[in-house]
Amino acid sequence: MLDTSKVLEAIGISLHVSFVSTLFAFLLSIFFGYLIATRKFFLKKYIVSFLGSLTSIPPVCAGLIVYLIISRSGPLGWMELLYTPSAMIIAQFIIIFPIMITLIINYIEREYPQLKDELISYGASQKDILFLLITNQKGIYLTTLLIGFGRAISEYGAAAIVGGSIDHVTRNMTAMIALETAKGNILIGVTLGAILISVSLIISFGINYFKNDD
Amino acid sequence: MLKIKILFLILTLSVSNLFSRDYIVVQSTTSTANTGLLDVLSEEFFQDTGIEIRAVAVGTGTAISNAKKGDGDVLLVHSKIDELNFVQDGFGVERFDLMYNDFVIVGPNHDPAKIKDKKNISEVMKILSNPNYKFISRDDFSGTHKKELSLWQESGISIPSDSSYIKSGSGMASTINIASEMQSYTLTDRGTWIAFQNKNNLDILFEKDKSLFNPYGVIVVSPKKFPHVEYKKSKRFIEWLLKGRGNDIISNYTIEGQKLFFTYN
Repeated sequence: MLDTSKVLEAIGISLHVSFVSTLFAFLLSIFFGYLIATRKFFLKKYIVSFLGSLTSIPPVCAGLIVYLIISRSGPLGWMELLYTPSAMIIAQFIIIFPIMITLIINYIEREYPQLKDELISYGASQKDILFLLITNQKGIYLTTLLIGFGRAISEYGAAAIVGGSIDHVTRNMTAMIALETAKGNILIGVTLGAILISVSLIISFGINYFKNDD
Repeated sequence: MLKIKILFLILTLSVSNLFSRDYIVVQSTTSTANTGLLDVLSEEFFQDTGIEIRAVAVGTGTAISNAKKGDGDVLLVHSKIDELNFVQDGFGVERFDLMYNDFVIVGPNHDPAKIKDKKNISEVMKILSNPNYKFISRDDFSGTHKKELSLWQESGISIPSDSSYIKSGSGMASTINIASEMQSYTLTDRGTWIAFQNKNNLDILFEKDKSLFNPYGVIVVSPKKFPHVEYKKSKRFIEWLLKGRGNDIISNYTIEGQKLFFTYN
């Protein structure tokens, strides 16, 4: 059977890695999403399309790309990031950032034009408009957070390759499920899967609670 | 450079390896991991010495190629020829015999190919090459896969190319599951088999041929080739495995009362 302490450790690692990667991706999505959505620039269409296509990057590919970069034989090998939670955060970031920024760009492109005209006629500055865009409709941002976090915490390939599924350090829930399945402990694998979904459920309820608090 | 690293590590809230590396990376195989041995050795070594082991279990082929890229301090795999080449080519300092067990042929318990009473592995491989009986291959350059290839070669049989030879391209568990579902034969190391909890209708049908010997070797990655290798800590780990408490832990390691690995002393 499986140690409760090991399962709790794995849950902790999953939450740590996915919280941080989602937060990073969220902040950068808002920043760059706003810039991209509200300005016209050369190659804008191509960049937005490219970001959209990155939403379907296979997790294993994202993991391999990060591995090649942070391996000792790669350009960032000196940073000693391989087999650390930091590497997992980077890999998950690459997977969820395109999804989150695409959602934000879509939302702002829809809301911004009419909002801009309305607010400028009231004498609002760029800063005011940005502030209102962010605080006015909490819903879209919470949804973006949820989607990003869901994708991050459930993915297996990327974090496993760059993290190494190391006991106590980088063995998150999905890596533990894969290991138990590899040992033939199918039932434990399914149970761990149910636990993972429950954790996501709690977080999702939590986020939606704030959404309806509007 | 250091400032960037500090900032990044702080941002990602993982500042453990900020200045010096207090852990060693062991590149190892799935058979040592699936049995749970790697985790136990890591924990016990940490208890004894305070040195953290980060053991990555990826399969022999991958472990060796990772080590050749400098992504490991220690190599612990089961493919003697490749291990010796690894040292010969300057990637490793020296190869030591760590432990051994054996490979077994498993298949459907009613043994349709009737390999149970055969005298040697060559006879068995000949029978299994018959299109009437399915055989699942790992096909992933793992230690098990390399052993399978050498068994075909030794028996003087070319690897079957018909549909009765199935390439799973995946780990031992997945391969055993396929063998179970398709009522086929496959080669597995005894350690993984004993630890495996989903045996269904499969059984060990052939074992104990000399050629099925499965030796594991351990090598420290060369600090000459890769200056970042934590040589002292790695050397300490190897000595602990070969002559210290690690040796006892390996030879006393059992699952359901059965010993999985044997040591040389």
